[in-house]
Amino acid sequence: MSTTEETIKDIVVKIVHCEREVLTPESTFQDMKADSLDMVQVLVALEDEFGIEIPDEDAQKFKNFSDFVTYVEARIAEKK
Amino acid sequence: MQRVVVTGMGTVCPLGLNIEEFWTNLVAGKSGVGLISRFDATNYPVKVAAEVRNFDPTKHMDLKIAERTQRDVHFAITATKEAIAQARLDMTKEQSERVGIISSNMLNHRYVAEGWEILQKKGPRRADPLFFTKGAPSSICLQLGMLLGARGPSTSVNSLCASGADTIGNAMNFIRLGYADVMIAAASDASLGEMAIAALSVLGALTKEPDPDKASRPFDLNRNGFVYGEGCGVLILESLEHAKKRGAPILAEVAGAAWTFDAHDTTAPHPDTEAMAMKLALQNAGAKPEEVDYINAHGTSTKLNDVSETKAVKMVFGDRAYKIPISAHKSMFGHMVTAGGAVESIGAILAINNGIIPPTIHYDTPDPECDLDYVPNIARQAEINVCLKESFGLGGQNCCLVFKRFKEI
Repeated sequence: MSTTEETIKDIVVKIVHCEREVLTPESTFQDMKADSLDMVQVLVALEDEFGIEIPDEDAQKFKNFSDFVTYVEARIAEKK
Repeated sequence: MQRVVVTGMGTVCPLGLNIEEFWTNLVAGKSGVGLISRFDATNYPVKVAAEVRNFDPTKHMDLKIAERTQRDVHFAITATKEAIAQARLDMTKEQSERVGIISSNMLNHRYVAEGWEILQKKGPRRADPLFFTKGAPSSICLQLGMLLGARGPSTSVNSLCASGADTIGNAMNFIRLGYADVMIAAASDASLGEMAIAALSVLGALTKEPDPDKASRPFDLNRNGFVYGEGCGVLILESLEHAKKRGAPILAEVAGAAWTFDAHDTTAPHPDTEAMAMKLALQNAGAKPEEVDYINAHGTSTKLNDVSETKAVKMVFGDRAYKIPISAHKSMFGHMVTAGGAVESIGAILAINNGIIPPTIHYDTPDPECDLDYVPNIARQAEINVCLKESFGLGGQNCCLVFKRFKEI
C-alpha cells in the first residue's frame, strides 16, 4: 500500500470518524457514512496536505475509494 | 390566544452543568466567578470571568457533532437534552412540524479571526468549509433541529444582553399565534474570549477588580463593572392545551413579554424606556403592578445599569418598589451576555416553584441611588405568584417577561 493511500486513510478516518477497516478499494462514500460536509472537508484537507487542487467538478466523479486514491496520486504526480 | 407554559428546563453554566447543581448553588449564594483560565489574561486589565468548568462535550454528543460545532452549541445540545427529559417530550409522538426552535448566541470572535488568518496565509482554497454553518448565528437552531427532528419554526434572535429573554418572549408569541405547539427557547453564549474582554474593557463595561469574590456586586455602592460569563439556558415552551393533553409537568406560565428600544445612547441605559418595557410586559400578561411579588433583575453590576434599573422599577411600582424583593443572579454567575436572560429566567421559575428567592451576593455597602430590597447575600423564603424578569441589552434593546405560578383559571 502506498504512503499516499495511508495518508488519505488517515485524513478520511479523522474527519468522517469511520473505522479504518471500512476503507477498502471498493468502498463508497455511502459505505463510510460520509455526508456532504464530510466530503468537502476531506477534499480541502487533501488539497492542503498534498498541495494539490481538486476542482469541484472532479469531486463528483469518484466511484469508490480506489478511484479516489488513483485520482489523488495522479494530481500529485502532475504537480511534480 | 393560547396560554403558554414552561414544561422543561436545562442549563450549563458557571454554577453547574445541570438544573439541580445550578439551583443548589444559586440558593446557597455560591459564586461561579474565578480567575480567567480560558486564555492567558496576563496582559489584560480584566482578570476574572464566570467560566463553565469541567465540561466535556463528548460526554453529551458524538465526537463528530462536537467537532463540527462550537462551544455554545455544545452547551445548547447538553441543556436541551436535559430540558427535553424533564418535559418528557417524545419526538416520535409529536407532529414534528409543530415543534420549533428559537435561539440566540454570540459571534465567536476568535473563530472568525482564525478563519481570516487561514485565508491570509493559505488563500481562499483553504477556507474551512464549515465556516459558514459553524460560525453562523443560526448554528444552535441547525444542530438542535437535526438532533430532534423538529421541523417547525426555526429562527434566531439577537438583542445582545437581552437576547436570552428575547428568545423566550418570541417563543411565547410563536405559540400564541398558532405557529407551533412546542417551542424550544435556547440561548447559549461562549463568546468569553480575548476579543470580547478586550473590547468591553476599553469601553469601561467590565470590572477590573482582580478578586473574584468582589468582582460582581450588583447594586452595591462599590460595584465597578460586570463580569463576563458563559453558559446556556434552554426552556421548553408549550401551549397549555398541548402540555395538558400529553400530561407534561407544568413549571410556570409565560404570561407576557414586551420589548422597547432606548434610541438614546449606545452605552448609557435609559430608565424611561426600561420602565416602559416593564409596564408593557405586565399589560401583555394581564397583570397589575401590585400583583408582582418578585423582580428578577438585569442587575449587571455596572454603575449605570443598576441605577437606571432602580429608577425604572420606581417609575413602574411607585412606593411599592421598596416592598418588592429584587435579586440579581449575575452576582453569582456573571453576565452570560446573550444567554443570561434565559438562565436567569430559569432561576426565576425555580424560585416560583420552590418558594425561595435566590439572593444578590457580594452585597456589602448600600448605594443611596440603589435603595430597594435586593435580597442581600442570603436566600429568602417567599410565595411568588407573579415574577417580572428584566433584561436590558447593551445599545438599548430592552425585553421584559412575566412569569406566573401556574393556576387553572
